[in-house]
Amino acid sequence: MVKPEKFIPKAVEKISKEIKDGRAIIALSGGVDSSVCAELAHRAIGGRLQPIYIDTGLMRKGETERIKHIFSHMNLDIVYAKDRFLAALKGITDPEEKRKAIGETFIRVFEEEARKLEADYLIQGTIYPDRIESEGGIKSHHNVGGLPSVMDFKKIVEPIEDLYKDEVREVAWALKLPDEICERMPFPGPGLAVRILGEVTEEKLEVAREANSIVEEELLDRFCPWQTFAAVIGKGTGVKGDIRAYGWIIAVRAVGSRDGMTAEALELPWDVLKKLESRITSEIPKVARVVYDITPKPPATIEFE
Amino acid sequence: MKELKILVVNNYGQFCHLIHRAVRDLDMDTKIIPNTTPIEDILAEEPDGLILSGGPEMDRAGLCFDYVREIDLPILGICLGHQAIALAYGGHVHSGKKGGYAEVEVEVLEEDDILRGLGPKATVWASHADEVAILPEGFIHLARSDICEIEAMRHPTKPIYGVQWHPEVSHTEKGEELLTNFLEICEKY
Repeated sequence: MVKPEKFIPKAVEKISKEIKDGRAIIALSGGVDSSVCAELAHRAIGGRLQPIYIDTGLMRKGETERIKHIFSHMNLDIVYAKDRFLAALKGITDPEEKRKAIGETFIRVFEEEARKLEADYLIQGTIYPDRIESEGGIKSHHNVGGLPSVMDFKKIVEPIEDLYKDEVREVAWALKLPDEICERMPFPGPGLAVRILGEVTEEKLEVAREANSIVEEELLDRFCPWQTFAAVIGKGTGVKGDIRAYGWIIAVRAVGSRDGMTAEALELPWDVLKKLESRITSEIPKVARVVYDITPKPPATIEFE
Repeated sequence: MKELKILVVNNYGQFCHLIHRAVRDLDMDTKIIPNTTPIEDILAEEPDGLILSGGPEMDRAGLCFDYVREIDLPILGICLGHQAIALAYGGHVHSGKKGGYAEVEVEVLEEDDILRGLGPKATVWASHADEVAILPEGFIHLARSDICEIEAMRHPTKPIYGVQWHPEVSHTEKGEELLTNFLEICEKY
């Protein structure tokens, strides 16, 4: 296991040495990996670090405001790019194509900001499993070989490339980052887009965002899942107020895991499942039914896409 | 146990880095290497043992067949690594009637050194469509399940072992014990 008290000063020193008197940028997502990198780099080079947060419009409810507040001491550059991401996703239904469209749009937006800022160095939150998975072709991580391939930097600095996720969390605690960062549930890079089966539309996004918020409120503190969320998986017939309604089907997912590599569905009490169904169908009028996914990983992945 | 050097051969399985992590957390010196690494480069590292990771397809198993036939070291094959050992020594691999996914109850037929402390039954996690259908000649059948008849095996004379399940994942019961058993085999060899 990593020893944060040794790791932190070493990492700060390494960043200082690599960047010297240059300027660096980092794509900050609010996840634990990029947050730890941003904090380490801020300690190393202070105001010569420019964190960029891109609001893709695919974020969870209140996410942008939360990040703005947490990183207010860092001169955070927030880019609102929802329209560009939705335009890039228009008509796309294939999961890999969606990821690709989001990744490419992210790179374009990031590139434009980076050019304005004239940074020499890119700091990335790549962790050890990202490297192994990308090398093996298991999963394309947009922070492994994504941004660097289209941009010219003197160097790409990866302060946590030898750490595992739980070790990054240990470092986050030691850096005294807020609990909501240290304990933050994994949230996919492509955001809510991978919790919407088929084409991503404004309507589906709104439904997914609200449903996710309800699921987190009901399950996070009480059951401490590794990950819990809601996905919009299609449409089905319902009946609301004596009228047949063709509405969205929401799948709820709540899993236990140590590292996200294998996972089991949580055995939620019946009254909890009923409350979830009741809240989702009453608070989101366009939802016709709610199902609970009990499939472990493998054979399923944790996310739907 | 003294610190041993264990090389993890990357067959591009999604759990490969978990093998590295599990062995590292047992205070061993460990490193992931591509499955195209020449044998002389492996031997130059002076390892105490090799672990062949799982992977998506046998076509991408690189030099694994050569490793298990030519390297005189303890070797543990996991999932596809287990199947590669079987093929290298003349066994047969085919698609199983059912895939083995998530929780599987394994019956230990013979503990041997590798499965010591795991019997008579263990709950493990698996992720495979293919399986060893026929053991290589002389190999010892160590474990079975209702999903897959040949869940574990060993070479008759060499310290070469194969398990179809994934001892490196956190949901596998006594996965750490199996890896510790392998490290003890490496230490004694």
